[in-house]
Amino acid sequence: MSITDRSVAKDVGTETPRLVAAETNVRTIWRRYGPWAVTILNLSTFFVVWELFARAEIVNKLFLPRASNMFTALWDGLTTTMPPGAVISGSIRDHLFYSLSNLGMGVVIAIAIGVPFGLLMGANRYVDSLLSPYVWAISSMPRIALVPLFILFLGFTRKMQVTIIVLSAVFPIMINSWAGVKTTDKSLLSAAKVFGAGRTQLYTKVVFPFTLPFIISGIQQGIGRGLVGVIIAEIFGGSKGLGYLISRSADTFNSPLLYAVLFLLVVVSLSLIQFTRWLEAKVAPWRRLETL
Amino acid sequence: MLSTNSRKIRQDETRDGDPVIVAENLTVGYELARERQRLTALTGINLTIDRGEFVVLVGPSGCGKTTFINAVSGIVKPWEGSVAVNGKEVTGPGPDRAMVFQDYALMPWRTVEKNVRFPFELQGGGGLAKEEIDARIAHYIKLVDLDGFEHSYPYELSGGMRQRVGIARALVSEPDILLADEPFAAIDAMTREAMQAEMERIVAATGQTVVFITHSIDEAIALGDRVVVISYRPGRIKEIVPVNLPRPRFASDVKAIPEFSALREHVWELVKDEALRTSRGDTL
Repeated sequence: MSITDRSVAKDVGTETPRLVAAETNVRTIWRRYGPWAVTILNLSTFFVVWELFARAEIVNKLFLPRASNMFTALWDGLTTTMPPGAVISGSIRDHLFYSLSNLGMGVVIAIAIGVPFGLLMGANRYVDSLLSPYVWAISSMPRIALVPLFILFLGFTRKMQVTIIVLSAVFPIMINSWAGVKTTDKSLLSAAKVFGAGRTQLYTKVVFPFTLPFIISGIQQGIGRGLVGVIIAEIFGGSKGLGYLISRSADTFNSPLLYAVLFLLVVVSLSLIQFTRWLEAKVAPWRRLETL
Repeated sequence: MLSTNSRKIRQDETRDGDPVIVAENLTVGYELARERQRLTALTGINLTIDRGEFVVLVGPSGCGKTTFINAVSGIVKPWEGSVAVNGKEVTGPGPDRAMVFQDYALMPWRTVEKNVRFPFELQGGGGLAKEEIDARIAHYIKLVDLDGFEHSYPYELSGGMRQRVGIARALVSEPDILLADEPFAAIDAMTREAMQAEMERIVAATGQTVVFITHSIDEAIALGDRVVVISYRPGRIKEIVPVNLPRPRFASDVKAIPEFSALREHVWELVKDEALRTSRGDTL
């Protein structure tokens, strides 16, 4: 049923152009909205199957709630300030804001530390050889192992949680900044030298713009790791936040709430990734298109 | 090829031009940090290039052609001997010299206009008012036929167009000397012919002295007033071949002239042994 088939069948009939136009129209609409339609259909099927499976009660409903119950718990938790269950204070909304503000604070501190140190390590090999053993040691170690230490130092406080987030987010940011400086195109540097760039200009006009997209993807990774840090810190030692809600709802067999928070985490982390992608495309359109 | 040899000698004896680049006993090399070795790239180079002359360097890969123009541009320092530009010894880069690069070396985050503006941003306007700088930039973008693309990014342009940006950037500060390091090597064959014609037209319009590196013997003869053949490792001048073909050469098919093929054969004979040595990996 391609365009050519039809026009051949119709021979040189007067209706052919209109038909072709109609068909290309359907095609453009399909090309634009098709993927969305498929995704929506896909996800609805998933939740319907879940709902039916849960209603069949093959699995204990304490472990697997109905999808509809999960959505109700999520909706109530986000639109009201009602506590979502026994022995839990504050709605999902309050805990979400708490976690997000910690994440925001942690990532901002991680950027403030990671970018300058990363750039400095990339630019100066003495600083690099001085700091890199520590950077590689801490960054290659599972951060979760350090949580008890921070609880020991800082107690079950917000300070402890933010420290863990910073420690999770700072290394990808630092290492990416470092890599950007190190991989700066040699021919761009010699071009700048030929056209009279001094040492400072080499950094401001070549190295930094070249490194910027690296920094952004470092931040992208940093947010992802930071989110892990948020949850770890709250599960281990906190009385607030999404991580706390997860562990608390599991303890009290409140499965709709537990699934609602997990679902919310997926939404949050996908939106954050989408945001940094948009930022990257905005700041360095050349990089995305060059690697295509 | 006796006639070519005698012509070469005559040309050297009767130099009466205005020398712009003078290399005397120039020896340059690199430190190989990892092997703690010093590699001599070029040795004992004596070459005088006159104002307005188009000199092409040919030779096998690794023979030190690039090292020569890097020494002229001032980004590498001579080990022995010296290079002087306009009577002054080269100690570093300067606005009287500009370079066109094989891989274009355009800043990918800058538009065409901003890339062409780059030298002014680094060197300052050299006493020019802002309007004059803007006019200069517009003029050279037009000269390389890129008007209308001022706000495009390099990734949006074809290889040939990118190199036009590279040429405009090199010309914009109106340097005395244009150094070109295999500028058309990465450009497809058809565009390359067109770019050679462009190069001749642009240089005729601006009157710059050009030092041009290429691997293509055809390109060397089609563009050069003199072709300098360099031997392989360490690079020495093997022979200087004058090219006395009429200009503009791209108005008609210069490659069809019998003298062109005679020159090509001669240069090829000179380059062939060196190319063989390269492929065998000889180092001395």
